[in-house]
Amino acid sequence: MKRKIDLGILFSRSGTYSLLGEASLTGALKGIAQVNADPAFDIAFRAVTRDPQGNVDAYAPMCEDILRETAARHVIGCTTSWSRKEVIPALERADGALWYPVPHEGFETSDRIVYTHACPNQHLLPLLDHAFARHGTRSYLTGSNYIWGWEMNRLAREIGMRAGGSVLGERYLPLGATDVARIVDEIAELRPDFVLNQLIGPSQYAFLQVMAELRAKDPYFAQGNCPVLSCNLTECELPAIGDAGEGVIAAGPWFRGMPDLAQGEGCDFGSSFEAAAHASVMMLAHLLNDHPGAEMLPLADLLALPKATQMGINARTHHTSLPVVIAQVQDGAFVPLKSMGLVEGDPYLTMGRDTPRPALRVVT
Amino acid sequence: MRRLQIPELGGANAAILHRPHATVVALTRQLEAIGLQAVSYWPDLPAAARSSDYLFLDVDTAYDDQFPWPAGQAPMPTIALVGSEAPGRIEWLMNFGADAQILKPVGTGGVYSALLIARATFDARAEMADRITSLRARLGQRQTVVRAVALLAARGKSEDAAYDQLRAMAMAWRVSFEEAAERIVSNAGPQESDHG
Repeated sequence: MKRKIDLGILFSRSGTYSLLGEASLTGALKGIAQVNADPAFDIAFRAVTRDPQGNVDAYAPMCEDILRETAARHVIGCTTSWSRKEVIPALERADGALWYPVPHEGFETSDRIVYTHACPNQHLLPLLDHAFARHGTRSYLTGSNYIWGWEMNRLAREIGMRAGGSVLGERYLPLGATDVARIVDEIAELRPDFVLNQLIGPSQYAFLQVMAELRAKDPYFAQGNCPVLSCNLTECELPAIGDAGEGVIAAGPWFRGMPDLAQGEGCDFGSSFEAAAHASVMMLAHLLNDHPGAEMLPLADLLALPKATQMGINARTHHTSLPVVIAQVQDGAFVPLKSMGLVEGDPYLTMGRDTPRPALRVVT
Repeated sequence: MRRLQIPELGGANAAILHRPHATVVALTRQLEAIGLQAVSYWPDLPAAARSSDYLFLDVDTAYDDQFPWPAGQAPMPTIALVGSEAPGRIEWLMNFGADAQILKPVGTGGVYSALLIARATFDARAEMADRITSLRARLGQRQTVVRAVALLAARGKSEDAAYDQLRAMAMAWRVSFEEAAERIVSNAGPQESDHG
């Protein structure tokens, strides 16, 4: 007889980044179905699902509601860093833990959160290395107007400077905005070696569309030249982008066709968002399996179990070891250009001697 | 635009002056997650702690005798852990001169930004102190510059030309303006300078 354990699920199925939320939700539900069907687990999860509909102010109350109204102590959830930061106080008040299966910009290690997708040393740094070697160091930076884009571009600027490169321009759009003409005009004028794109949802779709139009009329931007780079584009958004996605180079822990992230427990996924949400559920299931009462343990105690280390979770940083892959969209699918094996998450870039030390800028 | 270098935090040492307490546990957890090594001390800070890269101290319980240096002269960036906001404690803190602060209770955040701010403030303060020392020295040498210009002018130049000549000499010798003046005055010897 399996122990029934409530598990919170907090992803948006509508709003500007619904494709990402849907992908994470799908992965989490696949994980739950797999655990429940597998007699090797003495637990069964009951999903407690809430949908914040892309409204950043709905996340914290819904997270608190899950933790107060049900027996769930763990929540798989959040897409944007903004919403993740919003739920931290709720996790503290209501004594819960969040498994966050989405790429983020680093510089955070909440003891209430496990970060199961890539941070900058697992996406941005290897992606920039690749771009500097293949395309040059003159960059154009763009992104949606919140912490993800700001911090990723700050880091990119710093790393670029250290590599002797230059940032030709930097521009942001509000979440959901699609008036990308000004950005593309500027790129057409400045002719950078590559564009680092941290735009989210419809802004990114519109941007890639107008970039594709530019590529068709200006030979400098012909296919293969001045690629657009992304640290979070996956297969789950390609259908919304269509042909305009051709040539985009992205970094991620998983692309279609690779073995899955939860150590070969066979499932076919649509994207790394799905794979990482699935892996989060599987890692939690392994930690709770064969250990009655573990579902009530504080996160720190759970992550101190030897099983956590074996699965690649670092109890000190709450980040995971992940494969690093650079892949390019070719004929509608990601084709790996470079694979780096497992890399440990280093959210403050303090682990390696060779990790660049960024510098801040203060406006005075 | 001021550029703020992010300090090398991986492997850096942080000393915590605080009685054994949940605050120390929460601080240590954050410091280790960032990549530092943390050691806590109570009630006194040993002289060996002078070599720490950062110091966190409990303002609620701190007093001057705990520190092996005079108030306001900590040899590393310091971060105040503030609980009581009683004016007397804040006054003590102002005299101590911490570079950043964290309000208690310490939760899951705040340490990283405090480290960056403390390092930047400490470095800016040190640079400012150096600059003040060097300005004071230059101010003290003003008399020497006046005498050097007068000496050069006494050889038949206008005051402006003598001033330009002194500047050219400093550049040629690759020394400061004041140091060049110092050389001219001392080379002139007592006779000529008396004459001037």
